[in-house]
Amino acid sequence: MSFSKIIISLLSGLPNTLTLLVFSFIFSSLIGILVAWLSLQKDKVSRGIARVYTGLVRGTPPLLMLLLTYYGLPKLLSFIGIDSNQWAKIFFGIFGLSVGWGGYLAEAFRSAYLSVDKGQILAAYSVGMTDQAAFKEITLPQTFSIAIPNIENLLIGLLKATSLVYVIGLADMYQNATSLSNVNQGVFQLQIFVILAFIYWVIALGIEWFFRDYRRRYVHLNG
Amino acid sequence: MALLTVSKVEKSFNQNKVLKKIDFQISKGEVIVIIGPSGSGKTTFISSLNFLNKADSGKMTFKDKQINLASPKKDDVLWVRRHIAMVFQNYNLFKNKTAVENITEGLIYGRGLSKEAAFKKAVQELKKVGLEEKKDYYPSQLSGGQKQRIGIARATALQPDIILFDEPTSALDPELVGTVVRDMDKLAQQGQTMIIVTHLMSFARKVATKVLFFDDGQILESGSPDQIFEHPQNKRTQAFLSAIAEDR
Repeated sequence: MSFSKIIISLLSGLPNTLTLLVFSFIFSSLIGILVAWLSLQKDKVSRGIARVYTGLVRGTPPLLMLLLTYYGLPKLLSFIGIDSNQWAKIFFGIFGLSVGWGGYLAEAFRSAYLSVDKGQILAAYSVGMTDQAAFKEITLPQTFSIAIPNIENLLIGLLKATSLVYVIGLADMYQNATSLSNVNQGVFQLQIFVILAFIYWVIALGIEWFFRDYRRRYVHLNG
Repeated sequence: MALLTVSKVEKSFNQNKVLKKIDFQISKGEVIVIIGPSGSGKTTFISSLNFLNKADSGKMTFKDKQINLASPKKDDVLWVRRHIAMVFQNYNLFKNKTAVENITEGLIYGRGLSKEAAFKKAVQELKKVGLEEKKDYYPSQLSGGQKQRIGIARATALQPDIILFDEPTSALDPELVGTVVRDMDKLAQQGQTMIIVTHLMSFARKVATKVLFFDDGQILESGSPDQIFEHPQNKRTQAFLSAIAEDR
């Protein structure tokens, strides 16, 4: 089997891999921000919800999270009269990964928020800034930049986790690689998986490049 | 007439009383220097004047407005902070802002200036401390002395009634102290009302109109620089000054 045929076959799963990566990252970030906010509230109920969610999702393997979503979510939705039988599998993939990664991102945001030097906030108050202005101008940008290295790691982890969607029968790059290997009775197995690893590595390099730019922009925060 | 008066200011951290019924007042143009050993409550006291530290009890009269220090209204807190600026020991310049932005933030959010007007004013202030060419630098790119002078410019840009200085030279290398002291001295000459916590006795002597000696959460002695430094009456003051005599 030719080299180009392997690449073309694997890359046909790339749109699904990237769709899973981008949308799961967006939704898990939103969940992460919400849960981090809950965990920083004074009332016990909010903090309790955040703690239970984070504990549960961090303690559940991502593969299991995808299976639970695929088999459990339609049942939950049917309780409220929503029929999800015709929904695309990628929806469940995005949902499962978002819920799973939301817990990790929540911790990244929470710890970054708590790492902002309190003196920065005092200085903001001392020049007459309101709570809202201090948050928008000082706390939020600094939280974001402190969280960047963690977010980058989590995004690369998420890229790798997208390969788990084969368990719900979604055709991503990894699923295509195993299918191709099976069709050829495992003859080209090594070549196929080496090429697959190379493609994942290139995407991971792209992510690193994107964040390297951010890290450069925020390097002055560490002074 | 006093510009700011506070009475019976108290503050505890857990069981530890750090401020014990402090009475204090300052008039326009005065430069009050607070000296005393570490942990005597100096910083806690001055930061209670702009509510960065909330006192447990006490009353404030500032520009004829009475405010309860323990339960101030939100608007009063903002109002006070917009008239009493502060310079911090560790500079506390906003790390994510350039030198000029560090000054414009207060002008925009505290004083309500437009971005353009704030920028113009901020550049003027930087010029006054000789750091105009550093306007686009981030704090991490500046020396300690430069940071503190920008901290001073950030405070003076707001044209506050009072500036609080919390040990502004303590974190500086010795050779950088002079530049910051010169800026403060200039402000005193211009009639800026200031409350300064410092361990620089020679500077205190030169610039102060009144010196307070703090110990154990109380003002043990107050008077003119001459009275405090030449004829201290309280034994604790005498012991403190002789212990740091080499600085004089």
